[in-house]
Amino acid sequence: MSNIDRRTLVKGSLAAMMAGAAFSRGAFAQSSEPILLGVSGPLTGPNAQYGTQWKQGFDLALDEIMAAGGINGRKLVYQFEDSQSDPRQSVAIAQKFVSDPRIVMELGDFSSPASMAASPIYQRGGLVQFGFTNSHPDFTKGGDFMWSTSVSQADEQPLLAAYAVRRLGLKKLAVLHLNTDWGRTSRDYFVKAAKEYGAEVAVTEGYIAEERDFRSTLVRVRDANPDGLILISYYSDGALIARQARQVGLKQVICAASSVYSPKFIELGGEAVEDVHLGTRYFPQDPRPEVKKFIAGFKAKYGGQEPDAFNAYSYDAMNMAAAVVKIGGTDRRAIRDAFAKVKDVSSVIFGQATFDVESRRVKGAMNAELVVRKGQFELWDGKPT
Amino acid sequence: MSSWLDYTINGLIVGNVYALVAVGLALIFGVSRLINFAQGSIYLVGAYIGWVAVVQLHTPLPLTIIVVAAAAALVGLIIERFGLRPLQNSVRIAPLLATIGISFVLDQLVMLTFSPNPRALPSQLPDVRFQVGGGTIGPLDLLIAGVGITSALLLFVFLRYSKLGWAVRAASQDRDAAMQMGVDVNRVNQAVFGIAAALGGVSGMLVGMYYNQIDTAMSLQATLKGVVAEVVGGAGNVPGAVVGSLLLGLVESYGVAVFGTSYRNLFAFLLLVVVLVLRPNGLFASARQAPPEPLTGTFIAPSRPVRIPRWALAVAAAIFAILPLFPVSFYVLQTLINAWLLGMLALSLTLVAGTIGQVSLGHAALLAIGAYTSALLSLTFAVPVGLAIIGGGLMSAALGTTLISPSFRLRGHYVSIATLAIGEIVSLVILNWESVTRGPIGISGIPPLSLFGYDLISPTSIYWFSLSVMVVLALLQGRLLTSHLGRSFRAIRDDDIAARAYGLSLNRYKSLAFIFGGFAAGISGGIAAHLYSYINHETFNTQQSILALTVVILGGLGNVVGAILGSVALVGLPEMFRIAAEYRILIYGIVLLLLVRFRPQGLLGTI
Repeated sequence: MSNIDRRTLVKGSLAAMMAGAAFSRGAFAQSSEPILLGVSGPLTGPNAQYGTQWKQGFDLALDEIMAAGGINGRKLVYQFEDSQSDPRQSVAIAQKFVSDPRIVMELGDFSSPASMAASPIYQRGGLVQFGFTNSHPDFTKGGDFMWSTSVSQADEQPLLAAYAVRRLGLKKLAVLHLNTDWGRTSRDYFVKAAKEYGAEVAVTEGYIAEERDFRSTLVRVRDANPDGLILISYYSDGALIARQARQVGLKQVICAASSVYSPKFIELGGEAVEDVHLGTRYFPQDPRPEVKKFIAGFKAKYGGQEPDAFNAYSYDAMNMAAAVVKIGGTDRRAIRDAFAKVKDVSSVIFGQATFDVESRRVKGAMNAELVVRKGQFELWDGKPT
Repeated sequence: MSSWLDYTINGLIVGNVYALVAVGLALIFGVSRLINFAQGSIYLVGAYIGWVAVVQLHTPLPLTIIVVAAAAALVGLIIERFGLRPLQNSVRIAPLLATIGISFVLDQLVMLTFSPNPRALPSQLPDVRFQVGGGTIGPLDLLIAGVGITSALLLFVFLRYSKLGWAVRAASQDRDAAMQMGVDVNRVNQAVFGIAAALGGVSGMLVGMYYNQIDTAMSLQATLKGVVAEVVGGAGNVPGAVVGSLLLGLVESYGVAVFGTSYRNLFAFLLLVVVLVLRPNGLFASARQAPPEPLTGTFIAPSRPVRIPRWALAVAAAIFAILPLFPVSFYVLQTLINAWLLGMLALSLTLVAGTIGQVSLGHAALLAIGAYTSALLSLTFAVPVGLAIIGGGLMSAALGTTLISPSFRLRGHYVSIATLAIGEIVSLVILNWESVTRGPIGISGIPPLSLFGYDLISPTSIYWFSLSVMVVLALLQGRLLTSHLGRSFRAIRDDDIAARAYGLSLNRYKSLAFIFGGFAAGISGGIAAHLYSYINHETFNTQQSILALTVVILGGLGNVVGAILGSVALVGLPEMFRIAAEYRILIYGIVLLLLVRFRPQGLLGTI
């Protein structure tokens, strides 16, 4: 019953022609057709910025994969469909990818409502949905075709709590979190871990993503009299909170989740984010070879721009996809099975990524404790701020 | 105690920011009785022009303000001349839709030019802070307050004492009479749009500097808060808009103080509903003021509907019914399933907005109520999915009608604003009422559609199911429209005073319309919940409400076939433009504008 509509055929043959032109070597391989991945994510709408960051990470990873000879001589390409993070569009895209025999697996979507609404279609259609930013605890429970390299908050938040409580010595915390499924889950894991380490959580405040003004929230925080602020935020809202906290005269230590790790955080926050601590998965001077390669490659490709956390997620995801396709080939079921077989894929976030077959997630994210010093992210030297 | 002083100051600071947008909205509403949904986009454009001026051209602040004001005014003039003036003599609702289309286009143009990444917009004022209470204020707070209050005062003086100001007020009271008295109404409109846009642009820039952050998502939020503030103060009342903004800021701040951050917007929208119910013309409308809408129903102008013969409809239905038997891809079927689900919502809205004249901007709330009810019934109480969906429809009908009933006494635009607020309130209640709705985590693992024990999981069976549900609802509604009840609905829409004189009880008929409409929307939401298997408070958002209204206006108000046609068009077009990737929403906006321009009564006309 499935057939390809004309438009995709035209697009596909164009891509194939381009592939042929760029890599004439591929034309002599057994099959010159590029291997096609589907990406469902926001390119327009309120989350559009994350879609564009994904693209940067994907493109860098693909350049490197191609330079290393592609997938057994074949080119790896992706078809990015804009979902606006809207479940209505992500289900249509899911159906589109499932019915398109050239697509071997899918990456995305960004938000939980959009991703998890599409999961049943991918599961029934037998196409892997590889959600690399999907931290919702139920995402991989959608079925055995759902796999995720998103850092589990059960892993990440205790690391952040250890940084704040054990290393920085904070005893009484105020937690500000995005009131989304991610922020809420993270908060719960953080609070649990922080209490285990002996700190008191004086107040937790959830805010919606569109919020820009945090002054009144910060009065609540001030009245709770904490000695540290924990931000479970993205970089744009994290920068806003830090700025306003300093403006209203809060001088407490600020400690933030890795999702603020972006040069934009410093650009938007300015002096206010000076001395902000953050737990991340890698850092600029990281001696790990995969990180050095990622940062150097990224800067070279994008005019000196520093990569951020979302760039790293998508870069890792594309490398993982390549590793999986190398093992599984182009058969959709074999690709699903290959997820359980890939071992120690080089990864910026995990160092070496191997899936836990039970949870279909990767455990053991790397940890780096950073601080902003003179407008730069630096490894924390252990000195109090 | 000092905390309360801080909450008060913070409330005033934020209110200050809202005032900048609200004043521009109030000015435009005062003259053209139009809620300008593009005001937020002009604000966005202003912010990015400000960024170019400050970061690329290094202009000093006074020059930056002049550049931004001039450029934004130019945008405003272009909007007025090419977007709205051609619609002058068409249906009252067409300009409203046009401003929505314009805002799509402007937002997308900004996004394509500057990328969606947020940018820093550094303040050009010295960074000194003054201690006030427990917090501090900076020079930008004062500048924003200064711009807001000065512009409100200037406008007040301009409207009261200058000749053009008189013309503006004359035009706002009675366009035709003003024209007969020799007022150049077009010039007046131009002046108003220019001023409002300049103000909007400057406010976008100032707010950007204030937060040191601009991004393309700021436009819708600015419009929403601006509209709330404006209506609280009394739509069209410029000083009222300033007071309304400050009040809104205070209510939000106290709301945060008492209940916590995640309740903030709940209070903003509750304030709006309370004000609308108690003082429908806003807090500062004088009792003698003429009603904001004409007494007779020119809000939705009658037009000659396109009559489609029954056999043609039957043939079309038959073609869609047998479509899955042909080799069409599942993608096409899924897109049509989306269209049928949107069609049910549009049927609901076209009844409520088109037939009885209550233009709702919060219709997604009915979807959400239906979806949550059905999901929770089937998960928690193991109710069979088919029954759970019907339960969702009933709950949506009951709860939706109850929530909306306080606003039955409102007219025209005020109904839209009240429903917009109710929609937001429902979404925020879902977010905060964790014991029932599971809050931001949402509900996952919702069982798939099933009927009489058979799971409907193949796209083909879901297609047939949703198509037949929609067709049944459409037939019922078609029958309703030709009945006595349908005629009563239309009588209320066309002239509610005459209808009342005939002994029709307005509230009862409006309730009936919302009960029918709520049921259809709730069913659509219920099916969507089982289709998606996961829902949270963001699944059914404001954008969906706006989309539904667009569908209804596009198809022709009150027109059952039009609603379905509109759904197919507005689900299909963005999918067809997929090949244009980032440009597709831009193209969609332009197509929408062209449709409004050349077919303002909708594709099939109002019934």
